[in-house]
Amino acid sequence: MFNGFTGVLYRELHVFSKKAKKQIIASSLSPLLFLIAFGWGFGKEVTVDGLPYITFLIPGLITMSALNQSYGIALELNISRFYFHVFDEFLIAPVRQVEIVLGEACFGIFRAMISAALIFIYSILFGVKLIISPIFFLAFFFHTFLFATLGVTMAMIVKDHGSQASVNTFVITPMIFLCGTFFPVDKLPAFFKGMVHILPLTYSTKVIRASLTGGNINTTYLGLMAAFAILFFGTALWAVKRVEA
Amino acid sequence: MPSDKPILQVRALTKRFGQKSAVRGIDLTINEGEFWGLLGANGAGKTTTIKLLTGLTRPDSGEIQYRGRDFFRFFREAKKLIGVVPQQNNLDRDLTANENLTLHAILHGIPRKHRAERINEVLDVAGLTEYRDKPVKTFSGGMKRRLVVVRSLLHHPRILFLDEPTSGLDPQIRRNLWELIQKINREQKTAVLMTTHYIEEAEKLCHRVKIISSGQVIADDTPEQLKKGIGHYVLEGGEQELFFKTMQDAKDKQKTVHGESSVREVSLEDVFIKLTGKRINV
Repeated sequence: MFNGFTGVLYRELHVFSKKAKKQIIASSLSPLLFLIAFGWGFGKEVTVDGLPYITFLIPGLITMSALNQSYGIALELNISRFYFHVFDEFLIAPVRQVEIVLGEACFGIFRAMISAALIFIYSILFGVKLIISPIFFLAFFFHTFLFATLGVTMAMIVKDHGSQASVNTFVITPMIFLCGTFFPVDKLPAFFKGMVHILPLTYSTKVIRASLTGGNINTTYLGLMAAFAILFFGTALWAVKRVEA
Repeated sequence: MPSDKPILQVRALTKRFGQKSAVRGIDLTINEGEFWGLLGANGAGKTTTIKLLTGLTRPDSGEIQYRGRDFFRFFREAKKLIGVVPQQNNLDRDLTANENLTLHAILHGIPRKHRAERINEVLDVAGLTEYRDKPVKTFSGGMKRRLVVVRSLLHHPRILFLDEPTSGLDPQIRRNLWELIQKINREQKTAVLMTTHYIEEAEKLCHRVKIISSGQVIADDTPEQLKKGIGHYVLEGGEQELFFKTMQDAKDKQKTVHGESSVREVSLEDVFIKLTGKRINV
């Protein structure tokens, strides 16, 4: 019944398990560097939105790492499409495309959970107290699902490995720097403020930060995250249906 | 023996990439158990044809039917009938032989309780039993190829597409693969469509051959008939080749030729060169 879904997860988890150590170490490094540079650098004296900066920063880093990991499946999908053609095995198999999308999305969420767990450990080491609201789990799910399905969409529509790298340079990295990971977007000039409100990461960061620091959850933003998740699920499905090997 | 029940029917298949036509109106009917060859020079449209027939690329026009039902309307049902050996070994290098086969078994819905047994069966056929739990990246080219071939058989396909199955392999391994493919065709009555640019491969294995050039079929017959069509004997001398019905005719003509010349039996390669004006396999 769910051969496609099971197959995709079987493949991804087996490949992952062989490189898990390396990947986990690699993905744990950049948030640690940010914590040391910004957290300790101007950590406890500076307060932002009424929070010590490091407390403000950690939920941002959780959101960022979760994005990197869930969206990051795009890179591997690319390698499996263009270099080893392993993805053709999924396309040739008698399975529904929706199962391929959901399998990959689940794997993206799984990777994001590992990276988030690492930062929760950091928060303890850095002595930061987080207040985890149940909304966090829902928001985290929307956030990682939407970026995983965006990753699937992008991996299917790019024509080669180089274009995938450009998407990262021109979309993902600017988004991480502008959408509230390191500072509140309200401080941006009006033009940029308008612009970042088109980008889903802005809402993810706000909702996830509020759900970890005892802030008020903006339900409109949570709804927008769900809307983005549905939108990108749709584009991913469309992209997998039309992809050609 | 092949039956006359068609497993695959293709009508007026076309595919363009931008301005360039890769496949220009190919017709094809393959009956259950038949062994077909698709011959052509590099860029003739062989791989594109295979990709169209296996659903990896969408045609611009034309019809593909498996067992009389439209491929795209009964996409998943039709795919169950298909086994594919792509030109490139698309194995997961980090996974073991067993894991690669398990993935295929899951994707093709082979029930869990039969999986291990079936995997061991095909590993045995491929002579890879002792490499079951070794990662594929440690395999030689021939081992990878054998694994890809038996992987395509795991779900008992009724038609097997082989895209240049033996290119780049050494002669011994090629022969082993030929035997394996012939055995599948004979014993399981699996229909085969194989592309190749090794003429001797087509001559040895195929019941019928289609020769394509620039995306069009330019000849379609048994290897025997194709050879008969141009004559049984060929006189090679200098730059040109002449074809004759009998050995005697060829010998007579040879007497009038200056310089070195020789008479031999016609091969499928001669047919190919005569039809396409291209020498293949260089």
